[in-house]
Amino acid sequence: MLGFAVARVAVARPSLVDVPRDTSMGVRRAEPDLAMERYAAGDESAFGAVYDALAPRLYGYLLRQTHDRARAEDLLQQTMLHMHRARDRFIAGAEVTPWAFAIARRLLVDGVRRGRREILADDGELDPGASDAPPADDLVQARELATRIERVLARLPQSQRAAFELIKQEGLSVAEAAQVLGTTVAAVKLRAHRAYEALRRALGDVIGGFEGGRP
Amino acid sequence: MSGDGPSAELRARVLAAARAEAAPVRSEGARHRAIGVAIGFALAVFVSVALGGPALSDRQARHTALLGAAWMLVAIAATWIGVSRGRSMLGRPPAWRLLVATLTPAALLGSALAAGLSWPSTLSDDSNLTNHVICMALTPLFAFGPLVGFAFARRASDPIAPELSGAAIGAAAGAWGSLAIELHCSHTSLFHVAVGHVLPVVAMTLAGAAVGSRIVALRARTR
Repeated sequence: MLGFAVARVAVARPSLVDVPRDTSMGVRRAEPDLAMERYAAGDESAFGAVYDALAPRLYGYLLRQTHDRARAEDLLQQTMLHMHRARDRFIAGAEVTPWAFAIARRLLVDGVRRGRREILADDGELDPGASDAPPADDLVQARELATRIERVLARLPQSQRAAFELIKQEGLSVAEAAQVLGTTVAAVKLRAHRAYEALRRALGDVIGGFEGGRP
Repeated sequence: MSGDGPSAELRARVLAAARAEAAPVRSEGARHRAIGVAIGFALAVFVSVALGGPALSDRQARHTALLGAAWMLVAIAATWIGVSRGRSMLGRPPAWRLLVATLTPAALLGSALAAGLSWPSTLSDDSNLTNHVICMALTPLFAFGPLVGFAFARRASDPIAPELSGAAIGAAAGAWGSLAIELHCSHTSLFHVAVGHVLPVVAMTLAGAAVGSRIVALRARTR
């Protein structure tokens, strides 16, 4: 059951389980880095590659934060256009992914500060969007699990939630998450650990599955 | 893309918007930023020349040279750490920027104290309130050019802790201003240096945090 439950969480939150951890991130990260490198140097066609490499992950992050597809797409568009405008500032050899997430997060936070509250405290409904869905009862249980996780995360302090989301859900390395959050690696580790412990306490009956899959 | 990914229509829209909005390439941007910073420093040189240029007056040459060299090192370090972004698109870690903002005035004052202790006769002089006020006004004047140059180079670029970037930029520009006033001012007393030459750096650091962050911060465009 737990396998389907985690799979269902992944349907609702696509990058919770399907984004590789640190080792494979190195390979994946190189793609947007190199594409942005080409774009900064004047290869106009490379922006499509930058978009394709980053947009799904950014969209997943923004959708989880806003629970609003239109808003998530708007923020994604703004993020990508910021990157486009800032291509003249792109530092050779710099990492694109933390930069992109930091821009997206800044735009999200600015939107919230302006009074447009995107982060919902209640259970946001997300479309499954998957054609090869598991059996219905497993889907229901997995959806309940996803909802419980959302509730626990919503109760966490913002700093802990952000660290947990970036590392466990978005697949950023601890170092990348530290860059995005503007803090130290040690602080991010501590925040993510505390968030994880909170999840473990709240979801003690099912958290074992996560322990095995996502240390 | 379908399902939980962004729509294909969005991809087309973003790429079309990027094509419609010209953005300079890296080499062009680097040239613009270099020109901006150079103009800023040229402005500081112009102010210096307009005020008669650096003068030793009746100060001790070695004391002046040592203090000038120390303050130049402080200004270079503050600029390198506080203004340049290093190898990351997100700039130096916020803790580094905070250190620049807090340690730059301290380093200026500390080196002035060390130089003064090496030449005790320089620790007191006949500077008065008028002298203090003049230097308090001239230090930001000298720093204005570098400040504008640095702000131009870093405008709308910082998604993380822009207030710290603004403070670091203010401190770095202030350090250059304090170096310039040090080369012009004939007064060497520690109190005058603290009030007339270093206190404005603190003020510029605070102003950088308050105002500069609005320039440095990455902002959403209203459409």
